[in-house]
Amino acid sequence: MTRKAERVVVVGRDAALWIVAASLQSAFGRSGVRVDAIELPSLLQEVDVYAAVPSLGALHKLLGIEESVLLAACAGVPMVGQRFSNWAKSSPPFLHGYDVERTPGGDVTFFQYWVKARLEGLKVGFEEFSLAAVAAKQGRVPFTEDDPNPSAASHGYHLHARGYAALLKQLAGRAGVRHRRGRVAGVERDGERIARVTLDDGEALEADLFVDASGTEAVLAGPANSDNFESWRQWLPCDSTLAASAQPLRPAPAFSQISAFRAGWVGLYPLQDRTAVIATWDSKSFGAAQMVESLPVLSGLAIAGDAVVTPFEAGARLRPWSGNCVAIGDSAISLEPLDAVQLHSVHVGVTQLVALFPVDADRLIEADTYNEVVLQHARNVRDFQAAHYRLNRRFDEPFWDAARDAVGPETLDERIRLFASRGLPLLFEGESFQEQNWTAILLGHGVTPASYDPRVDRVPPEEHIAKVQQRLREVAMEVRAMPNVEEYLAAMRRRQEFQAF
Amino acid sequence: MTEPAPLEIVIVGGGTAGWMAAAALGSLLPPGRCNIRLIESEEIGTVGVGEATLPHMKSFNDAIGVDEAEMMRRTSGTFKLGIDFVDWGFKGSSYVHPFGIHGNPAAGNSFHHHWLRALQAGEAAPIEDYSFAIVASRRNRFAFPAEDKTAIESTFSYAYHFDASLYAVFLREFSEARGVKRTEGKVLEVVCDPESGDVASLRLESGEIVAGDFFVDCSGFRSLILGQTLGVAFEEWTKWLPCDRAFAVPTQRQGELTPYTRSTCREAGWQWRIPLQHRTGNGYVFSSGFIGEDEAAASLMANLDAPALAEPRMLRFKAGRRANSWERNCLALGLASGFLEPLESTSIYLVQIAIMNLIALLPDRKVDPALREEYNRRQDLEYERIRDFLILHYHATSRDDSELWRYCRAMEVPDSLKAKIEMFRHRGYIEHYKDGLFTPPSWLSVYLGQGIAPEGYHPMAEGMPIERLTADLRTLREEISRGVDAMPAHGEFVERYCPHPAAPSEMSASEARL
Repeated sequence: MTRKAERVVVVGRDAALWIVAASLQSAFGRSGVRVDAIELPSLLQEVDVYAAVPSLGALHKLLGIEESVLLAACAGVPMVGQRFSNWAKSSPPFLHGYDVERTPGGDVTFFQYWVKARLEGLKVGFEEFSLAAVAAKQGRVPFTEDDPNPSAASHGYHLHARGYAALLKQLAGRAGVRHRRGRVAGVERDGERIARVTLDDGEALEADLFVDASGTEAVLAGPANSDNFESWRQWLPCDSTLAASAQPLRPAPAFSQISAFRAGWVGLYPLQDRTAVIATWDSKSFGAAQMVESLPVLSGLAIAGDAVVTPFEAGARLRPWSGNCVAIGDSAISLEPLDAVQLHSVHVGVTQLVALFPVDADRLIEADTYNEVVLQHARNVRDFQAAHYRLNRRFDEPFWDAARDAVGPETLDERIRLFASRGLPLLFEGESFQEQNWTAILLGHGVTPASYDPRVDRVPPEEHIAKVQQRLREVAMEVRAMPNVEEYLAAMRRRQEFQAF
Repeated sequence: MTEPAPLEIVIVGGGTAGWMAAAALGSLLPPGRCNIRLIESEEIGTVGVGEATLPHMKSFNDAIGVDEAEMMRRTSGTFKLGIDFVDWGFKGSSYVHPFGIHGNPAAGNSFHHHWLRALQAGEAAPIEDYSFAIVASRRNRFAFPAEDKTAIESTFSYAYHFDASLYAVFLREFSEARGVKRTEGKVLEVVCDPESGDVASLRLESGEIVAGDFFVDCSGFRSLILGQTLGVAFEEWTKWLPCDRAFAVPTQRQGELTPYTRSTCREAGWQWRIPLQHRTGNGYVFSSGFIGEDEAAASLMANLDAPALAEPRMLRFKAGRRANSWERNCLALGLASGFLEPLESTSIYLVQIAIMNLIALLPDRKVDPALREEYNRRQDLEYERIRDFLILHYHATSRDDSELWRYCRAMEVPDSLKAKIEMFRHRGYIEHYKDGLFTPPSWLSVYLGQGIAPEGYHPMAEGMPIERLTADLRTLREEISRGVDAMPAHGEFVERYCPHPAAPSEMSASEARL
């Protein structure tokens, strides 16, 4: 006899809490599942920002969040990529644009044609053939919604973190999530399972499934230690992160700006009313006070208000789902706020939990599959982030020299070797970043393919040149037709006014 | 800029694998990049028997520029919508593994959860009734899938049955027309470069020395270069896939032309039936540990639906694969790289995917290890995923009427498979992977057909009112039935589209039945 899982208690805070609670409620509310959200005191600061990859849009669609509402509630700015500066001392910045696959034209991608052209002396970088990268450089963003011929570029967001959490909270309430504030006073365990969670006012909560969305505090899952957590510090060496705020940039860029400096990197994230700043660095070689002091110089902006420093260690909990408790977000996976993945582990976690939501509350065999899939995703993103460090060309700086000399992860070594050899991005199961993304960062960091797919040579030289030129023209033309960030935002405001009316 | 000298590629062996490689390299590589030479000996027979394929075959043929109707005419080809597994789950059972989805195009991979819920409520017909490809198979119908991806008639794909020896002959002509050079002769010696250890040349019986930059070993089970010369070890999977022999025998064509392969479970293995236009291919794949050869041959001959056209011929094999199928400057294809029994018609697929990977990763004269490493990684994934899928057929059965089946039921299966089965049994969960063969609809049909009944289904399926679900299922079933009835009979379709000269006409066949 199976006993349905009917009661879920999500303990957490901020965006992670509300994303999980709203997603579970809208997926299973109609099937009779009750979702309670216990809201812990927020850890968000006014200066905090979320940078989000385009895939977050799919979650918004599921949750019924209109883009116009999102942008208005979060002082949000759409963005089509990230620009990386100073990761190599002698090279200009490069863009990681959010291109999506065009209609598949056989096995040979356009990139392979570019590799050949490059080897034969073409001076135009691949970036100029990337719709998203060109759009980013011109401050433009494609409209994607309701387009019958969707653009080959997609966009993510910069969002004011508190505004985003508030919007999601509202949405969760509307979806039927029950919610109360509180603090956890005690967790009573029965073997691996949580029997009861007691709140500070004495209320005791029982559930078939608990979700820990409390962030690094991991209030239910328990503290991370060397037995339950794999550290990625040898590949992602920073241990501190800081958020701050600066005046807005005009015109608003359509990308985040990620600049390396001698002990880490500083990111600038345009919002509608200001520029959010994040720095991530190694405090052993660069003290926190020094960091705060250097921020205006490193960002090139006057920093307003407080900077808030948080320590962290990149890595993942080996069993995010253990017993009847699923850790989602920073309670399970700790990545750098690099590559706009801050909300991504929440997205991956909740997507997998919806797919594997227990059918029998007394037999949670889904945990193994869940853990395998979530860790696979996390390690793939780790590789992507680690690639920035590994491939840096800031020679003669101890921090960067060590990052370049780090050994592994083996999967990253494989990816770099294959790309250097044939220009093929190696993708494993459960990739968040696709071929276009890997191509952009590997090329950007200076990995140049030595050869290309032999089928490219079947195209006669004149036709090849024509193909390359045509692509260049198409990209330029398509970008010209896109609105700039301000126009995009204005259109969204009009849409919202219309809907309100 | 001077063009580099062409890469000299030498293919050893002219069976299906060898000629597929020659045809693909000859037509997909740019002119002047390679010289392709194939060495085969007419004295060495090929293993080619009546062969069943997978839908991927069509994209291979399309990619290299083979005309489908001509190929089918020449190879006595017929269409295939799936495989009918008879007596596999239990004696008296039959299920079709279709080349298509269950449900309508909008349902995605969630159809079976809704179906399971309706089934448990007593409101659903057998799952076959909701698969267009299965219903068409059961009624012996065939037509090409609809172009309109929203139509129920678009929810399947198709493969071929053909005579593999005729396919090799066809591809030989095709390849020679594209510049592939054929040399008749036996290889006496594989000569390696004493310094690098790479393969340098082949010495033929005629005395000729054939030098090359890259060698494709299609020598069959002998694995002349990869196994014998380079010493790449064979990893054996007999403990999971114990069959190691097959008897094959052709029979006269009998009855309506079925658009599917049939696999019938037998005491010590299984029997195939592959309908071609001019004859039917039959064979008994068995484990010599569980039945004597004579007994197996007798069993096959006693279980034919038409007079045999020849004496049964025996083949020996072993399930498994070479640790690496690309070593140094030699890449092995087909049987020279590994063998998985033809239960799911994967042999030609494995050759095809290997060739396509070779083309994408084609090395220069000096082999970049990164390319080889990636090739071996891709092939490993393919082999292991197919292996697990095959083991599922053997392991998940309620048959206990013979020693082989009792062994298979009780054997330890790979952990990866064990977890998959457990998750399906628990909740109808099917893993979805990006690389490798067999998508969720394939796993679904085999899990269910082999008798693994899920205890639960995805909780989200509860969200729909049961009345609406029941009505939707009824509509879908009717829509499929109507769509299939509008298709021509498979035999008629083949006769119109690609008649083989030696095939009896469908008209006379049906008259004969009267």
